[in-house]
Formats: sequence, C-alpha cells, structure tokens
Amino acid sequence: MMQAQTISQTDKQKPGKQDFPVLCLAVVPKKKFDAKVDIVQFPLYWITGEFTTQSSSQAAPQGLDAAVSVLQEILTDPLQEDLLWAIDTSADRRSSWARQWHEQGFALWAERQFLPGVTDNLGKTIEEALTVSGFASGIKVASGAGFLFGLNTTINYPSLESLIEYCRYKHFHPLADRFVVHELDRVANEKTGNQDLLTFPRVNLPAAKPVEVISLDLNENQLETLSKERLLALSASEMQAIKKYYEDRSVQKIRQEHALPKWPTDVELEIIAQTWSEHCKHKIFNATINFTNKYASDGDLPREKCTVINSLYKTYIQAATEALKPKRSDLLSVFVDNAGVVRWNNKWAVCFKVETHNSPSALEPYGGALTGILGVNRDVLGTGLGAKPLFNTDVFCFAYPHKDLVQRQTMLPPEAIIAGVRKGVEDGGNKSGIATVNGALYFHPGYRAKPLVYCGTGGILPLEVEIDKKKVSGVEKHTQPGDTIVMVGGRVGKDGIHGATFSSEALHEGSPVSAVQIGDPFTQKRVLDFVIEARDLGLITGITDNGAGGLSSSVGEMAEITSGALLNLDNVPLKYPGLAAWEIVVSEAQERMTISTRRFAELKELAVKHRVEVTDIGGFDQRGKFEIVHQGKTVAMLDLKFLHKGAPKMMLEAEWSPPPVKAELGSVPNDLGQEVLQLLSDPNICSREAIIRQYDHEVQGLSVIKPLMGAKQQAPCDAAVIKVLYDDDAGLVVSNGICPQYSQYDAYLMALCAVDEAVRNAVCVGADPESLSILDNFCWPDPVHSARNADGKEKLGQLVRACQGLYDAAIAYSCPLISGKDSMKNDFDDGTVRLSIPPTLLISAMGRIPSVDKAISMDFKSPGDSIYLLSAGTTSLAGSQYAINKNWTALELPTLDLVKAKVIYKILHEQITNDMIKSCHDLSEGGLAIALAECIIGSGLGATVSLALPELRYDAALFAEGPGRLLVTIDPVHESECEKLWGSACLKLGQVSDDGQLKVFEAGGAPLLTLGVEEMTSAWKTSLPID
Amino acid sequence: MTKPKAIVIHGDGINCDAETSFAFEYTGFEVERQHVSDILSASQLLSVAQLLVIPGGFSFGDEIASGKILALKIKNSLQEQLHQFIDRGGLVLGICNGFQVLVQMGLLPDSNRKAKPTVSLAHNSGGKFINKWVSMQVPQDTHCFFFKGLTQIELPIRHGEGRLVVAGGDDSAEADIVRSRAVLRYDEDVNGSFDGIAGLTNDKGNVCGLMPHPEAFVRWTQHPSWTAVGAGFPRPQLGPARHQGGETPPLQRQMKNVGVLTMPPRDRIACADIPHGLAILQNAAKALN
Repeated sequence: MMQAQTISQTDKQKPGKQDFPVLCLAVVPKKKFDAKVDIVQFPLYWITGEFTTQSSSQAAPQGLDAAVSVLQEILTDPLQEDLLWAIDTSADRRSSWARQWHEQGFALWAERQFLPGVTDNLGKTIEEALTVSGFASGIKVASGAGFLFGLNTTINYPSLESLIEYCRYKHFHPLADRFVVHELDRVANEKTGNQDLLTFPRVNLPAAKPVEVISLDLNENQLETLSKERLLALSASEMQAIKKYYEDRSVQKIRQEHALPKWPTDVELEIIAQTWSEHCKHKIFNATINFTNKYASDGDLPREKCTVINSLYKTYIQAATEALKPKRSDLLSVFVDNAGVVRWNNKWAVCFKVETHNSPSALEPYGGALTGILGVNRDVLGTGLGAKPLFNTDVFCFAYPHKDLVQRQTMLPPEAIIAGVRKGVEDGGNKSGIATVNGALYFHPGYRAKPLVYCGTGGILPLEVEIDKKKVSGVEKHTQPGDTIVMVGGRVGKDGIHGATFSSEALHEGSPVSAVQIGDPFTQKRVLDFVIEARDLGLITGITDNGAGGLSSSVGEMAEITSGALLNLDNVPLKYPGLAAWEIVVSEAQERMTISTRRFAELKELAVKHRVEVTDIGGFDQRGKFEIVHQGKTVAMLDLKFLHKGAPKMMLEAEWSPPPVKAELGSVPNDLGQEVLQLLSDPNICSREAIIRQYDHEVQGLSVIKPLMGAKQQAPCDAAVIKVLYDDDAGLVVSNGICPQYSQYDAYLMALCAVDEAVRNAVCVGADPESLSILDNFCWPDPVHSARNADGKEKLGQLVRACQGLYDAAIAYSCPLISGKDSMKNDFDDGTVRLSIPPTLLISAMGRIPSVDKAISMDFKSPGDSIYLLSAGTTSLAGSQYAINKNWTALELPTLDLVKAKVIYKILHEQITNDMIKSCHDLSEGGLAIALAECIIGSGLGATVSLALPELRYDAALFAEGPGRLLVTIDPVHESECEKLWGSACLKLGQVSDDGQLKVFEAGGAPLLTLGVEEMTSAWKTSLPID
Repeated sequence: MTKPKAIVIHGDGINCDAETSFAFEYTGFEVERQHVSDILSASQLLSVAQLLVIPGGFSFGDEIASGKILALKIKNSLQEQLHQFIDRGGLVLGICNGFQVLVQMGLLPDSNRKAKPTVSLAHNSGGKFINKWVSMQVPQDTHCFFFKGLTQIELPIRHGEGRLVVAGGDDSAEADIVRSRAVLRYDEDVNGSFDGIAGLTNDKGNVCGLMPHPEAFVRWTQHPSWTAVGAGFPRPQLGPARHQGGETPPLQRQMKNVGVLTMPPRDRIACADIPHGLAILQNAAKALN
C-alpha cells in the first residue's frame, strides 16, 4: 500500500515547456450528500495543457473562466450536477471543497486515479471532446474518482489502513490505480497547499536505454540465469540453440555487413523469446513425448505400454481434421490463420476463434477480461483479408467464493476476480456492438490457482475481394514484396510488455506490473469499421492483429508470406517517450492491427474519416530476413527460417494410470424433492439470467435462439442460433461443452464428454450434426516435470489422454477441428504455496441450421406431449454435481457409445427439420431431474413421469450424469413412429402436464416426489456471487 | 412512387447501423449510411433526406454520459441544418444511444430553437445494463408520426442509461409537458424511468426518441417467445407473416392491436399483422408518402 500513499511531486518541480497548470475538477451531484450513507463516489478529473486556443471556432474558450464553462458543459449534466474546480497550485480552492464536505459530516476523502501509463479511456474521450469544442489539441485529461466516506464506513474501518484495505479491489486496484485517503479536517485547514493531493499522472520515464548487446559467451547455467533475469522464459536448450545461431559463420558475415555485433542485440533476443514463447509456438503440443500408459487395455490383462508421440498437435488434432477433410469441402482455412474459416454460401465464409486470457485476469480481472474479448475480436478482424465480428462467446471457470479458499498476499479475492471479469466482458462486448450469444460458467475450487477466461468470437468474411482490379480470395493473405507495413490503431506504450512470455509462466511474486493492460473498446470499434471499409475498397493485401508479442509477432509472422520484412521503429507512434527499441517491438499495447497495402495514401485518407491512426512502419521484401531499424541504424537482422523453425523440439515424459476410485455412497435421502431444489440452486446449475441480461445478446439484429427463451423469457437454451445475413434464412448454431469434473478420473472421458456436450447442445436447437466444426481450448496445469512440479509427468499424461479422447470423438462425430489454443501454465506459485487448476478442455462448436424457422427451444410446449429420454451411454454418480455436493464417489465412470450417439443425433436433426420434435434439452449437471425441472421452469407447464429404472437407486436415476443423453417431447400421435426410429436408445418417461408440477413416480406407481414450478423457479433463480 | 430517403448515421461507436439500415430498407426506404465525419462535413446531405436516424450503440464508448459527445459534435457543426430539417417536417428517430443523443442536444421533448433541456437519461435504477424484451403501451391518440394507430408493443431494451429524469421534479410544469410527449410506457418498472416512459416525441410529433429497439423486431423469429407460441400451430414465418386460412397464428394473436399496414410491393408477403418494430418504421414511411 506504500505505493498508493506516496505521491510523486517531481512533475511540478520540473519546469519545462510542458509546464502548464493542472486544473482539478470534481463533478458533484446537485443534491446534498448524505453523510449517513456509507460512501459517495463522484468523478474527478485532472486537465493540463493550453486552456486557450488558436482556432476560430465559436466555441473556442478564451481564458480560464471560459474554459471552465466549456468543461462544465462537457463534463456535467447541468440539470443534476455541479462542477467544482481548482488550479492545483492554489491550496485554498481545494481546501474549500474539503471544508464543504467536512461541514456535511464526512471525515475522509479519497482520490483515485490511474497510475501513469495505464489506458484511460474516459480521459482520452474527453480530450477529443475538448478538441471538438475548440480547445487547442495537445490538451491532456486524466480521469479518476473521488470518494467521501460516511459515518458507517468510518466506524467500521477506524484506521486509514483498514479503510484502504477495505477499498482495495473494491474501489481501486493497486496494479492499475493510485488511491490516496485524506483527512478532511486537515485538508480543510491547510493554508499552504496540500502535498498529498493528487495531481496529473504524468508518465515520467528516464531517457530510453540504448540498444544493448548481450553476450551469449556463457555456460549453460549462466544462459538459464540470463533467460530468467530478462524474463525471456527460454529453456537452457533454447538458449543454446540461439547461441549456436550467432556462432554460425554465415550469420556472422551478414551481421558484419550490417555493422551488427557478433552477439544478439536486446531487440533480437526479445524477438526470439516472444516468437519461441509457449504462448506463440505451442512447444508442449509440438514436443516429442514418451508416453507410458500403465494401464493399457488392449490385451487380456492390463499392462504397461510405452509410446512415442511425435507432437500431440500433429498426431491427434491436425490428424483428425486431415482425416475428415475429404468429407468436408467447406473447410477453407484451418489452423493457419488467426481463426478457422468455413464456407457459408457462394459469397461468404464464417470464421471462429476462441482464446484464453487467464493470467492477466488473475492479476487485474477487469482489464484482463476486457483485453481478452477485444483481443479475440482482433483475431477475427485479422482473419483472411478481414472478417467482421458477428458474435462473442464467453466461458468462465472460477472458484466459488468461500472462506476455506486459499488466501495469499498476491491473490485477489475471488469476488473481485468474478466481478472484474464479468464487467470486462460486458464492456468489451457491449461497447463493440458484438452480441454475446453463448457461454458457460463453471465453479470448482481448483480455479483458485487461476481463473479461466475463455473469450470466443465468430465473424463473416467475403470469399472474394477485388484488389487492383483483380478478384482474389478473401480468406487468404496476398501480401507481396514491396507492400507497405502499416500499423493501425492505438499507440505503443509500456503496456503488456512481456505478455506472451508472462502467460507462459506460473504467476509469481515478481510477475511484471507492465503486464496490466486495459482495453479501449471505442478505439477498437473505430479500427473495426475502418478495416472492413478498407477491405471492401481493396486497400488491404494482408492483415493480422497485434496480440501477444506485439509487432515482433505480427510483422514477424507476416514476413513469412513474402519471406522478408524491414521494420522502421523510428516511425512507430509512441504514447510517451522513453521506450527502448526492444520495448517498442514487443509491447502489447492494445487496439492495433498490422496491415500490408499497396495503396497507403488511400488507406490514410480513409483513416482520417474514421479517426484512426495509421502509420507506414516499413515494407515487406524477400530477403529472408526480419530487419529492424532504430534511429537510422539496423538493430536486428534475424534469419526468418531460424526465427520460425529454429526452436529445438522439447522432449517430455508423460505417464498415465487410472487413479484409484473408491465407492463411497451414502444412503438414498428420504426427501428427494428437497435434493432437487438444492441442486437447482447450486452455483453450477442455477439460472445465469443475472449475467445474461447484462450482456447485449441481440445487437446486429441476427438472433434467433437467444440464451433465454420461452413464454416467460427464462428457458435456458442449449445453444445459440443466429442468422449470418439479413436476407438469408440459414442459421449459424453456436454451442460449447466443458466437463472438467471428469478430468480427475480420466481426461480421455473429459474430452469425449466435452465434444459430446458441444455437439449435443447444437443438435438440441436444430443444427445439422454433419455441418459442425469444433474448436479446442486446453487449459492445463504445467505439464512439464521439474523439482517444483513433481507430478508434471502425470499432468502431461492427462494431456495425452485428453488429446486421444478429442481425436476419437472428433472422428466418430465427423467434426473437424478448425482452430484451437492452449494455455499450459495455469498454476499459482508464490514460492510457498503451489496450486494447480483441474485440467480443462473447452470445446466450442459452430454449425448450420438450413432454415432458422426450424429452430426449437428446450421448454415444454403443450400439455399431453410425450416425454422421452434418449441415451447413447451409461450414467454414474461419479463426477455428478449431486455426488460432488455430498462428497460421495462412485466406482463406475459414465460411458458413451459414440456410434449410437451419432446415429441418434442425425435422426433427431431430421425429425426437428420435419417438425416432429416439440422440445429437446440436453442432460448435464444435475442429471434427469434437473433437465425436467428446467423444461418446466422454461415453460410454466408440468411433467408427470415414472422411473422404470429398477437396477438403479432412485437418487441415481434422478441425478446421475453421463454423456449422450437428451430429453425430448413429441406429439403423442408420433409415438410409434419415433420409437421405431429411436429403438433401444429411447425410454418413455411420461407426459407434459398443465398443472405446473413435477411429479415423479416409482416404477410400481408410488409417488417419489412432487414439486411446484414456483418453488423450483425460486430455487433456480438463486443469485450468483456476481453483481 | 419514389421511395422516401433515410440517412442512417454510423461511426464513432454507433453499432446498430447495419440492422437499422436493413430494417428501413425492408420497410421501403432508400437508405444512405453516412459516417458521422461525412455528415458533419457535408451538411447539405440532410437537405435531400426525409428521415434522419441516429441508431443505437455506444458512441464514444458512453464516456462521461451516454450520447453526450456525439451530441456535442453534431451540435457544433450541424445544429442549424438540423433545426431547418425539423422545421420543414423531416422525421428524426433516435434509438437507444440515438435517443440519448437527441436528449443531450436538447431536441426532446422540445425541439424549437429556444427550448432548454429539461430531461436527462440517467443510469437505470438497478445500476446495471439490461437486455430484455419488454411490453409497452402507446398512449391513445398520440401525435407522434411513428406511433399513430398503434396501441401495445413488445420490443427489446438494451441499455444501462435509460431512466428518464425530469430536472424540475415529477410535479413540475415541465413534467406535465414530458407526460404529454410520451410515446411509449413500460408495462413494468424496468429502469425507474419517470412515469414509466420509454420514448418521447416533440410537439409536432416528427422527432422521436426511443429506448427500445424497433429495428430488433422486424421478423417473428426475433421475439424471445417465438418458439414457444408457435408450438402445435403453423410456425410464424420469417419476416411479416400472412394470415393462414383465416386463422391468425397464435403469436400474432398474442401481439394484438398492431394495426394493419400495407407492406411495400417488393416484399414477398402482401399484408398482415407485422412485427412491432416494423410497424413503427412503416408508420414513418406512411407519414412521408
């Protein structure tokens, strides 16, 4: 907290040409503050620059009073708010604010502002508004907040320290904000000016460090130390490979020709580190793995079997897609671009990408989630020649707030993580005008190690674009030697330096503060509008986003297309001076795209209209090198082949044996109705309405099946359906599957279940299962064995099993994998405590429904309809929410008959197309009972069912879980026809009733439970720990 | 018959321009999408249009207050042209963020040159953004061109700042004027808005601001209950539905009193009860013919 309390006054003491006065402003409500309330919060601003103008605009303010009156118009609602202002060198003005508040009964006042260099969207927008109103350009605005603490708070938190502790993460985040508390009586009586009042937060960097040469003439240990100290996240063998490259004679010759030193510059070393980071290169997925399966079951007896796997990615993921390609002519671009691209019709393609932003969200959840969603939007924008985002998806895995959770100094409270992430996705999606159509929320205490924040975006792009009067494919890049490299969007600052290497490490005490970034959805929306128009005008020959690794990655990757690039750092626009060359290259400052063009002048003209900054930062060539110029001198010259292919392959060990499972089941509870209600209110089952309503899920006017449907808008739908084009009836279906509850038993099963869940959810609303494409997102605890990570081999064994499950399910369901991502270091480690997440695989699916008016929702439709359970697998209490809550375990795991499931899904799709199916809902957490309850809650109707499942305990019949299961209702006239089609997969349960009750009977006819729709609804609407 | 011409503005964070343009085109307008920068620098654009639409979105990221800076921008360079446009009977529709812009510009509930702002759209009483479909009533005999003949309407709201506040207080003379200019009232209290007001018009009825989104209900499959009420009956069709064999499909029955409006001849469906957003846009087309 020391940081927040000590204020640098150096700005004011340094006179210079930028030594304008700082105007401090507070926007306070007209109605008097009530000191009896806990906390009053209001906006604060600090403004500096020239308060007069050369412009001849009528609105141009003359002098300070005029400036204040313009500010009043811009910053206040004159009907409801007043503006207080003061020049920060005059003590009495701000003292008068303090006196006023003190007289109203407040004791304490806090100021909050962003730390210097943290993105301040509000400040930036006000700067633009001031320029519009005639202020001279160059005016700087910093935004913040003031807090007055009422009686209650000051009683509850008597010391300043306890108050600050209370406010931390609630009202400020130490990594993003300054937060200073003042005693009002002292400020009010201060005569000489207040040294601790906040002034304008200037970035005050020392002069940029010159480019440094880093000798690699070191032994292995020294190389490893070097990598650690410089946060390179490179292994000893990687450092050796780099050393070897620089020792190569031909490399040395070229370096001499360009007046470069023998050993790498810091710029070069940083570029290599970014390019070879786990985040960018997926080294674990490409490693050679010795896999020991201690329980291979391909003989009569289980035995140990060793296999060498040459790249998990090639063996299981790429191989599945390759095997399916002959059946799927619609796969246009898989695994090569920023998103997987699938043909939609004869003019358009759709693309889909899902990313994770776990590590940043653990440190600063709002900024982490916001940049996560904006980042994946940019992935889509950077696909082909530019795709327009159509929809967002979000899947969160959190630890449910509980007193037993681990608390460490460097860990945020779980409530703060959840609230920040939710808000970040809201701002990211809503402000960008992209509908959040689908998602999931899963709680498990294991996510205390790191929250998982999956952000997905789908987009639409044209199959053809006209460039220089020639029609070219819109789903490919056409960058040629001679094309200009253009940086579009935000400026470069210290934000997010080392983001790529940082996400490749466990969170630790020294995790870099500069990793904190806050996205700017407004600037990005302008960039988005600009890119789409530029694409349609044929101005873009290639495009990619600036995400992890910044320019180093974006230009470095695009350079592969032409085989060469020259990047001139002197042209790169900076937020503030003082950045070293390597920092400019790897900065992950947000809202930037990298474009190649042959018509820069036209691009620039268009950018003026959209108010987007575009800069010529170099050119593409075919010299086979990535060259970087800084202050007129070459500071990097890297062989592209070495950069992209030179990383040594990792060799890893993996082991797997099924963990011992004990059966520990209690007796069947007497009141099963109570159990249903308890499950309905479980955080993993209860209504997500509170979150859904805060995300715009309809913008762009394409929605068909929304997250909540039915007569009362509360039926939780299994998947989303949207139109892709306004004048086309075909619909895009989006769903997801995530089943981490099974990873502790067998990650193979987890992967099967995740694929099945995604496919089944899509089928439920009417998707053609043969049209589905899927995306894989692995979030794993570190699977590399080391002293600090003793069970690394087992974690890698789980990863192998998951990949095998994914392969088997993808092949069986004929679902090609079109894109994916892995996040391999989801551990917390502060040197004392080490925590790991449960291995988690998210499957996202995208498919087609030929006509959107055939889509169906999961709610029951008409009394008298027949209710059927369809299943293509077996169930178990193992891993079920019911058993988890009771701390029970079961011996048998659920199973899935992939062949049977595929047949059932295909039949169901045909029946939905033929209007035979009234409703269809997947069975997931909570099993059959919860599926029935949700269909009742969604419709307001009832169900009368009997459980003819004699071999099971009744609680297992109601609550056991397993893949491949669906609850379907049909008109009774279709019973015989349907039963014939479904065969052994179906079981008739009963009828939909009109009495709003769930009535379950035993096989013999004795009543088992009765629940009313109201009590079920109120249990289900339990509030989540989300504001 | 020449089509009426509508300008739909986009850029600077507006994000409902695509569906709004589509909806107006579908209704029979000739739509010109214009970037904010273009319309500010070429103000004569307004002189050839009959309708100006400011769509929903997050102009300038909703910073300071929603609609504030876009309003400032338009006011600084287009105020006079806009007043002339309104004076000669041009229609202005602000949807969601567009409504907030009109209020910030002081064009609602009074759009004469001397009118002072009397209302604001403040943060929802629940403090949160809400995306939800709501049922609303149109006051009888409304003089607003967009709502003539309509009575009850369902549309989605998608806003964080939609609570109408009257500066002079609920009992002031200004409040009486605001009441008389209401075009839509929520059936339930969704955001704490004064008098449950969801939309306002000016004295002449040609400037209209709406928190709900009419462009989001131009086909039946946009309604959140369309799968429920369609069950067991002929499914509502895409776009405006036709009466089938004299029997009104249940969804249309439920959404009664929409009024019978004539669709433009280019549409594949001749006439019938139509989705409510489309009905509002149709009214605009009728007023201009």
